[in-house]
Amino acid sequence: MIKVTDLKKTYPGKVPVHALKGVSFEIPSGQFVAIMGPSGSGKSTLLHQLALLDKPTSGQILLDGIDISGLSQGKATDFRLRYLGYVFQEYALIPELNAIENAFLPLMLLGMNRKEFIRVSTELMGRVGLVDRLHHLISELSGGEQQRVAIARALVNKSKILFADEPCANLDTENKGIVLRLLRKLCNDLGQTILMVTHEPEQREFADRVLWFRDGRLVKEEYIGKDVQEDAIHNGYRTDVSSSEK
Amino acid sequence: MWNDLQAALFLFYKYVTRGNKGTSVLTVLVATLAFLQINLISGIFSGALGLIYDQTKNNYVGNIVVQPGKDQWGNKEEYIKQVTELKRKINAIPGIIGCSSRYTIGSVIEYHPDKTGKDIRTVSWPVKSIDPEDEKRISGLHNNMLAGQYLDESDRDQIVMGREISGGYGASLEVQSLKGINIGDEVTIFYHNGTTRKYTLKGIYATAFPLADMNAFVTQKEMESVLGMRDRASEIIIRTDDAYPEAYYIQELRKAGVELPDIRPWQDFIGLVLGLAQTFDIIKRIVLFIGLVVAGVTIFIVIFIATISRKKQIGIMKAIGMKEGIIVASYIMLSLFYAVVGIGIGLAVLEFVATPYFIAHPLDFPVGKTSLLIVRGEVATSIICMLAVSIIAGFIPSWRVSRENIIKAIWG
Ligand SMILES: Nc1ncnc2c1ncn2[C@@H]1O[C@H](COP(=O)(O)OP(=O)(O)O)[C@@H](O)[C@H]1O
Ligand SMILES: [Mg+2]
Repeated sequence: MIKVTDLKKTYPGKVPVHALKGVSFEIPSGQFVAIMGPSGSGKSTLLHQLALLDKPTSGQILLDGIDISGLSQGKATDFRLRYLGYVFQEYALIPELNAIENAFLPLMLLGMNRKEFIRVSTELMGRVGLVDRLHHLISELSGGEQQRVAIARALVNKSKILFADEPCANLDTENKGIVLRLLRKLCNDLGQTILMVTHEPEQREFADRVLWFRDGRLVKEEYIGKDVQEDAIHNGYRTDVSSSEK
Repeated sequence: MWNDLQAALFLFYKYVTRGNKGTSVLTVLVATLAFLQINLISGIFSGALGLIYDQTKNNYVGNIVVQPGKDQWGNKEEYIKQVTELKRKINAIPGIIGCSSRYTIGSVIEYHPDKTGKDIRTVSWPVKSIDPEDEKRISGLHNNMLAGQYLDESDRDQIVMGREISGGYGASLEVQSLKGINIGDEVTIFYHNGTTRKYTLKGIYATAFPLADMNAFVTQKEMESVLGMRDRASEIIIRTDDAYPEAYYIQELRKAGVELPDIRPWQDFIGLVLGLAQTFDIIKRIVLFIGLVVAGVTIFIVIFIATISRKKQIGIMKAIGMKEGIIVASYIMLSLFYAVVGIGIGLAVLEFVATPYFIAHPLDFPVGKTSLLIVRGEVATSIICMLAVSIIAGFIPSWRVSRENIIKAIWG
């Protein structure tokens, strides 16, 4: 569970930028939340604060009851490793490692033994549909495949929360569909809490709930109806015949 | 901690096996060259110095020189006394190969190249005496005859000269020289004690050490008759097996009862050469420094470029929960790897290429031919320094980049 209270973030500088101007919301576990809003509205900033990549100027963030704003840098690193997963927009994999090595890296950092982390990461690679790509180098994978490896890496430590900042921005239609359906499925099957930033309105239909941002404020909340979600899962970002008929 | 090390090792291993091979090869090559230039130059200098030292010991003053000490009133004695007894004590010490006593007396050597008496060449120089058999055990004199023969025990009217005294035969200094005397020619020696004797030149010798070639020798028997004394000596030259430093043998000599005379190691007689050795040491240190800077800067640049160009990736690794220490450690391992492989190849080249090459093609020094003298301690020092430098060269850039704020590192 995520509880955010009056969260503010100001980037200092000659002209300080008030990227978040007091944001409050709660997200229960197992919810897939889309964060929408125009460019510059503070979506990424919000994600950075929640994922402990940056320190908020004021306000409180509770993750499962833990006040994360008080964590030291070392504790924050450990917290990210143990409880959080983050999917970046692009180029977020380590090119010297192959697909499975990228995926199991967090488990290695956690000190899991080799046999066990190979087993766990292979299973997850199966879940993201890449069992036949385990030993491919990153440069040999398509953008969509890379993003799925990144999702596997983000979830391999059984993350409590998966953050994804525009994970589909650089993907073609087909791969967008694959990744969004995968995220939806992970939420359904594993009860994975997901916070995904996007600026394409169609993508929000895969989520349970949408938080709309504008100018550093949460301006609107929206719940996606089951029928809309079902329709998105079946027809969204289809490049085959069935979607063109629609 | 162990996890962290394992993760760092894993990353390092992947950098090497999946990273740019060309960069690795070139970096290792620079490390190898730096290591080689340090140790080749060191080895050549050590070889040259070793040669000079060997020449000094073989042909000049042995390992240890015993000279007359002070008498009971504190005056310097002219001769060492009871030499036979002293030599017996010296020879009884384990590790001492032999000793040879010599008389030295000032003299003027006169040579008439023709019978007309117009061309008279003189040299003012001390003449020394040797026991030819004893001398064989402590110096290379008998092996260094350029012309004629070495002295026999029973010779009385025969003399042997170094080429710097005789002149000719490629002598280089000729400060005090007869300017070309031939074997069989006669010289007259006016000893400072008033005795005058005639000698036939029996042999001319040359070492690679000009100072050692500025000597004229007669036999001990002859000299004792000139001086009218027995069982004394101006100096005793001692050779050891070189197993211990001279100081150790000097201590043993004292213990064995060689009390009165003055005992000094060979180093005391070659101040000039030791000055040269100090100069060599300074040059060696400069070369070591330059080599370390070259290797260090190269590795630094390679790691610097690697980390700067992976800035975003390093930010991402931190974002997924990797400690900075792991990232830094992986790059230190990488730079250590460059150094270790470079050193390894360098050692192999030194051992299997350079050393055999210089043995086959020795360098020609004024004091003789020398190959490399690889001093283990110096090689070890260069290895330790290179490893230390490579750790620093790996640490600084990776630490600077990995310390950077995650947001800045990833999104610029
Ligand atoms: N590191 C930063 N330093 C200064 N200003 C920043 C920084 N990151 C973002 N901003 C500013 O904060 C505002 C919100 O940015 P961001 O959260 O990236 O928006 P979004 O992701 O919704 O496009 C923008 O005006 C942006 O220019
Ligand atoms: Mg953004």
